[in-house]
Amino acid sequence: MGTGRTGKAGEAGEARKPGARPRGGRGRGARLTLVSVATLAAAGALALPARAMAHEVEAEVVRGRAVAVRAVVPGGRPLADADAQVFSPADPAAPAWRGRTDRQGWVLFLPDVPGRWRVRIVDAQGHGIDTAVEVPAPGAPAAGDDARGAERGAVRGRDHDHDHDPGEGRTARLLLGVGAIVAVFAGGWLLRRRRRT
Amino acid sequence: MHVPDGFLSPAITLPAFGAAVPLWYGSARRCFGTSVAERLPVMGALTALAFVVQGILIPVPGGTSTHVTGAAVLAILLGPGVAFACESLVLLLQAVLLGAGGITVLGVNALAMGLVGPGVAWLVDRALRRVSGRLAAFAGAYLGIQASTLAVALVLGLQHRLDPSYMPVPFPVTLAAMMIPSLAVTGIVEGLYTVATLALLRKARLLGPA
Repeated sequence: MGTGRTGKAGEAGEARKPGARPRGGRGRGARLTLVSVATLAAAGALALPARAMAHEVEAEVVRGRAVAVRAVVPGGRPLADADAQVFSPADPAAPAWRGRTDRQGWVLFLPDVPGRWRVRIVDAQGHGIDTAVEVPAPGAPAAGDDARGAERGAVRGRDHDHDHDPGEGRTARLLLGVGAIVAVFAGGWLLRRRRRT
Repeated sequence: MHVPDGFLSPAITLPAFGAAVPLWYGSARRCFGTSVAERLPVMGALTALAFVVQGILIPVPGGTSTHVTGAAVLAILLGPGVAFACESLVLLLQAVLLGAGGITVLGVNALAMGLVGPGVAWLVDRALRRVSGRLAAFAGAYLGIQASTLAVALVLGLQHRLDPSYMPVPFPVTLAAMMIPSLAVTGIVEGLYTVATLALLRKARLLGPA
């Protein structure tokens, strides 16, 4: 029994030419080249992170820190899609944020410093508000720091402006205005009658 | 139509006050002068009515709203001088009680809504009175409100030109946003209101000699 290799007739005795690649050598070389290139590319990506991550976008979600101001006209109609500007106390001259109110008339911003922030909202007809919102320092209690603190914080912005909460006591104020007008003219009429007599 | 506080710079509000103050003095004297003293109750009632109707917002297609002024009827009935004083009182009370308009812009609002508009209404009424009393009143009120609206739009446009940080909306946008509802809705309502009020006063025999 023989232990030699068996092969096709004529192969067993064939001699390898000098310099010739062994069987399967071309494929192995290509794999080696591919691995080398991939390794080099990965190394390059790690070495130049800015270029490698240029298209990466991260998102940060923050809850509970935003300030919301809403502009509505009497009757409850929101001042939607109106020009809005927010001014920081750190730089009152230039707007820290500029945009438009949403469909419900809201402007939202995330204050980065405490102090008196200013919000201006105006529509194309010239209706608008220019109001101040006090943002307390971190950890400092807001006025009425309770469950209604956030709500009161939003309403307080309107307190600094002559803009009242629409609907709130509007009928009473209308009647007060009518009464004031009647008083002025009634007083004038009585004075004239007195002068005549 | 009221311009709110904070959207006009002192470059506009101060000259407006300078023009309005002497006019207020003169028109207030006219209001309580002998020539119209007997009509003080009617004057007071119409002024109170103007205060109320200016607070009634009329919805306009497009999500906006408008309102009448009620100043034309005062001008047609009692003259533009009296109308200016009455409308100025209305604007002052609106600023203080309702937050509509403002104190720093009172001069501008008074000149636009109390002088320009009612002045045009009075002139048009006088010019067309021979044709028809009702047509004159309607046309006067309609054109008067257009004049007031245009005046406010021009002031806002001027402010945008002088300093856009006060009024960021450009003039063409403001003009269209204000004039279109005024031409389509406000003018017609103001005209009808004026005609109806004058008819009621005539019926109640409260018009009296002019």
